[in-house]
Amino acid sequence: MILRTALALAALAGPALSQDRTLTISVYGIAQDAYREALYAPFEAQCGCKLVIESGNSVERLAKLEANAASPVVDVIAFSDANALEAAAKGLIAPLDPARLTNLSNIYDFARDPVGDAMAVGYTFYGTSIVYRSDEVTVNSWLDLFSDDLAGYVALPNIATTQGPITLMMLQKALGKDDPTFADAIDLVAEHKDDVVTFYERGSQIPQLLQQEEILAAVVGRFGWANIAKLGLPVAWAQPKEGQTGGMNVLSMVKGTKDPELAQEFIDFWLSAEVQQKLADGLVDSPVNTQVSVEGATADALTYGEEMAAQIHFLPAAQQLEHREDWLSQWNAKVAQ
Amino acid sequence: MFQDRRIGLWLLAPATLFVVVGFLVPVIILLSGAFRTDGGWSLGNYLDFFGSSLNREVFWRTFRLGLTVTLVSAILGYGVAMAVVDKGPKTKGRLIAMLVLPLMISPVARTYAWLVILGRTGFINVGLENLGIIERPLRILFTETAVFIGLIQLFFPLMVLPLISALENMPRDVVPAARVLGANWLTVFWKVILPLTKEGLVVGGTLVFVGSLTAYVTPAILGGSKVLMLETLLYQRVSVANDYASAAVIGVILIAMSVLTNILLKKLASVRKA
Repeated sequence: MILRTALALAALAGPALSQDRTLTISVYGIAQDAYREALYAPFEAQCGCKLVIESGNSVERLAKLEANAASPVVDVIAFSDANALEAAAKGLIAPLDPARLTNLSNIYDFARDPVGDAMAVGYTFYGTSIVYRSDEVTVNSWLDLFSDDLAGYVALPNIATTQGPITLMMLQKALGKDDPTFADAIDLVAEHKDDVVTFYERGSQIPQLLQQEEILAAVVGRFGWANIAKLGLPVAWAQPKEGQTGGMNVLSMVKGTKDPELAQEFIDFWLSAEVQQKLADGLVDSPVNTQVSVEGATADALTYGEEMAAQIHFLPAAQQLEHREDWLSQWNAKVAQ
Repeated sequence: MFQDRRIGLWLLAPATLFVVVGFLVPVIILLSGAFRTDGGWSLGNYLDFFGSSLNREVFWRTFRLGLTVTLVSAILGYGVAMAVVDKGPKTKGRLIAMLVLPLMISPVARTYAWLVILGRTGFINVGLENLGIIERPLRILFTETAVFIGLIQLFFPLMVLPLISALENMPRDVVPAARVLGANWLTVFWKVILPLTKEGLVVGGTLVFVGSLTAYVTPAILGGSKVLMLETLLYQRVSVANDYASAAVIGVILIAMSVLTNILLKKLASVRKA
C-alpha cells in the first residue's frame, strides 16, 4: 500500500522532478562535439534530464572514481575493459540489469558481458594489426615483424600503451606458446630490440615515421588507419594468419548512483542502432551494434563488420590485471635496458 | 614598520591560501602514500625501490643525463649570454625572443620537428651524405643522443635567461679592469665573471636539471623508449599498474633530487664567495 502510494506520488511528481534530473557521465575526452550531437543532445531531449560530462583518460578517471567511492559523483563511466574489471574488483561499479538494456541482443556477443557479472557492456571496439609498405615487404604473420626485411625498419608499441600488451599476446600466440606471462614474446622482442626503430608512445607518430621512411611496418590500432591510408603511400593492413588483436571500451554503472534507471536508460541509448550509426558515420566510434551499416571509406576507416570482428583476439581483462606487473618487470629487465 | 609588516602579511594571505589549499595539501596527500606501508608509516617503500638493482641503475642514469644536460647548457649558455648581453636593446629583444621560442611550441610539435631534422631522410643525414662525409644514414633518432639534443634545446633558454640577467647586473668595467691587470680570458671568466654571475647559474642550473629530470614527452618520443628513465618508470606505475604508492615513491625521489641539487648548487656558490 505504502509502495503504491509512493509510486502514485512519484508519478504525480514525475514531470516536475524530471526537470531536475541530472546524470553525470565520465567519458574519454575525444570528439566531444560529435558526441554532443549524436548522443548527449538527443538523450537529453528523450529523458528531459540534463547530462553533466566529465572527461579525461581512463586511468585518471578510474582513480577519481576510487577517490570518490564514499559519495560517488559520477553515474555512468566509460573506460577500458581492464579498468572496468579493476573497478568491479574494488566494488566501485554495480551490475547492470540486462532486462533494462533492450539493445543488448543487437550487439556483438563479445561486447555483451566482457568483464563478467554484467558489470560492463562494450560500446565500441577496434582491431589492431600490422600496417606495412606493400611495395617493400609482405607481412603474413606477427613473426614477420622480426623478418630480415624489416630489421631496422619496424616500430612496435611501448609496453605502457594499450597496444603494447596485446601485441605481446599475438607474438606469444604466433610462437605457438600459451603462456599468459608472455615470457617467450618478451624474449623475442628483447632479442630483436636493436632492429626495432622505436617502441612508440603515441600512435600519432606512425604516419610521419612511415612518410619519412624511418619505418616500413608498425603495429597500430585501426583508429589510426585513416590517417595512414591518406598518406598516399602503398600501405596495407595485414591479415596475419594468427588473426588480429584489438581492444574494447565499455560502459559501467557506478555503485551508489542515485538514479540507476536513468543510468541504464542512457547506457541502452548509447548502444542503440541510431546512436551507434551516427557515431560510426562521424568516424567517432566503431559500432558494436550489428544493425549499423556503413560502406566505402567510412567502413574502411572503422573496425567494421562481422568478418573483421570474428578475427579479433581480445586480451581478457582478467589476464591483464593478473599479469600486468609481471609483463612490466620482464619488459623493464629485458627490453628497456 | 610593524603596521606595514602586518599589512604585508594580509596581502600575502590570499595567494598563500591558494597555494596551500590548491597545491601543497593535495601534493602532500598524494605523496604521503609513499611513506605508508601495511604496518603504518615507514621508509619501507624506499628500501624496496632502491633494493632493486634495476631501479638503482635507472636512478643513476636519470641523474647522469640531468647532470650532463645541465653542464652542457651552462657552458653553451655562458657563451650565448655573453654574446647577447652587450647588444643594443632591439637586437637583444629579438635574440631573446628567438631563444624562448622553443618554450612556446607544444612539446609534441617541437619533438616532431626533431624527427624531420634527425631522421634517416632528415636534413642532417641528407646534408652529410651530399657532402660525401657518410655513405649510409646515421642512426641519430631514437638514441640517447637524440634525447640529449632534444633536452638541451628545450631547456637551454631556462639557463640563458638567468645568465643574461646576472651578466646585466655585473659592473661593466670589471672585465676590462681584469684584462688591464694582465688576466687572460680564462682567468677573467673563472675569477671575475663566474663569481659575479653565480646566482644566475644556480637558478639556471636548478631549472635545467629539474626540467631534464622530469621531462617525459621528449625522452619518450626521441629516445624510442629503449632506455628506462625515472619518469618512464613513474608513468608505467600509474598508467599500466595503477599503483599510485610506487608512483609517489618515484615522485618523492624526483622532488628530493631537485631540492638537493638546488641546495648543493647554492652551497657551491657560497663556498666560492668565502
